[in-house]
Amino acid sequence: MTPEIDRAGSNRGRAWRSWLPVALLLVVAGVQVALVKTEGLSPWKGGGFGMFSTTDDAGRRRVRVYVTAPERSEEITISPSLEDAAVRAGVLPGARQLTRLARRVVERERRNGRPVEAVRIETWGIEYAPDTLAATTRLARTFDYRVDAITATRP
Amino acid sequence: MWTRSLQPARDAAGLDTVLQLTAIILLLRPFEVWWVAPFVLAAACLSLVVVGVRRSPITWLLLSALVAARIVAVWPLADNHIYLLAYWCLAIGLALAAPAPAATLATSSRWLVGAAFAMAVLWKAVLSPDYVDGRFFRVTLLTDERFADASMVFGGLTPAQMAENRKFLEPLPEGAELLTPPPFVEPPRLRAFAAGATWGGLALEAFVALLCLLPSGTRIAIGRHASLLAFCATTYALAPVAGFGWLIATMGLALCGPDQRKLRGAYVAIFVLILLYSEFPWTGVLADLTGR
Repeated sequence: MTPEIDRAGSNRGRAWRSWLPVALLLVVAGVQVALVKTEGLSPWKGGGFGMFSTTDDAGRRRVRVYVTAPERSEEITISPSLEDAAVRAGVLPGARQLTRLARRVVERERRNGRPVEAVRIETWGIEYAPDTLAATTRLARTFDYRVDAITATRP
Repeated sequence: MWTRSLQPARDAAGLDTVLQLTAIILLLRPFEVWWVAPFVLAAACLSLVVVGVRRSPITWLLLSALVAARIVAVWPLADNHIYLLAYWCLAIGLALAAPAPAATLATSSRWLVGAAFAMAVLWKAVLSPDYVDGRFFRVTLLTDERFADASMVFGGLTPAQMAENRKFLEPLPEGAELLTPPPFVEPPRLRAFAAGATWGGLALEAFVALLCLLPSGTRIAIGRHASLLAFCATTYALAPVAGFGWLIATMGLALCGPDQRKLRGAYVAIFVLILLYSEFPWTGVLADLTGR
């Protein structure tokens, strides 16, 4: 047993003060690993200490947004009002963040008097070949949002 | 419990430097969330100048809650050291309310550093698909502007080669191939630099994790401090995350006994060194001097 534990943990009822912060760290880190594997969270984010471990960082993720309506189907640019939601959706392309972005897109289109029935969001990443480092873009996730229904698919 | 949280800890004189450095960390990198930043800055300022505020558990428990609120507000964009900062403020708050604050905080510090580094090692060695094969640093040394000067100085690249390599590393659509791809120059020195960063970083982090998680003995404690100081002195010379470095140095200081004056001085010196690393563009100056 360590000297610190001897002193701090001599009273077992008080040892929790030393353990609680690290217990929180481990819980959050466990959730982060799960989110990376299931929702596509960037390993750099989420409190799992995966920074500087992979090229799959926020800067290499791109979000593309397409809007459709009668007589309209086009990719829109990410305006400053959408930027924050787009970055978050790129880093964590789960249903919640993607829905948030889609709703912002609908609000913006309606604010500008443009019709919108559906929004498609694609999240893209970059992969580097192991030896040559040749870089290619990779479609990570496609998300379709309609005012009345939501579906998310993975390629 | 609650009345104790409001009273300054009596036996916390030995922790003053740790608490002051933590307050300085909060002041050096203010949060951008408007409803968090003013309160964090105010609490950090007060804790620097008023002993009673500094040694009160409630100060640090509130700071921990504010840092956590910031993490939630910008979810999922917060960097990892902000999470560690929240745990650290919580650890300080809990320790100051404990019968033996310094010993309680030392235990928390050791486990927090050990767990954070163990997770970092897990990601690099096991979970990441492109770290151990060297791809991460081979790409990052070329594409991350913050490493560009170091890549030219230590990797032997010229600015023109760096520009060509960046063009080469621009992604193509899946399945596409250029008829005449731009040249890619990767001198042996650059490959060696990338390999050194890959394996040196992983080994050092693994040492820190292991030595923090192993039960304490005299030799283990010496190795723990040596690896922590070596990690801070080398990693943050290049890695652009001073906030993490300051936190690790401060947590290392919390591991020192009150009689370990030289060791305590070394951690404070490392804290200042990381500050200089972050503000003084030494690799850029070297690149200019060497004509890179």
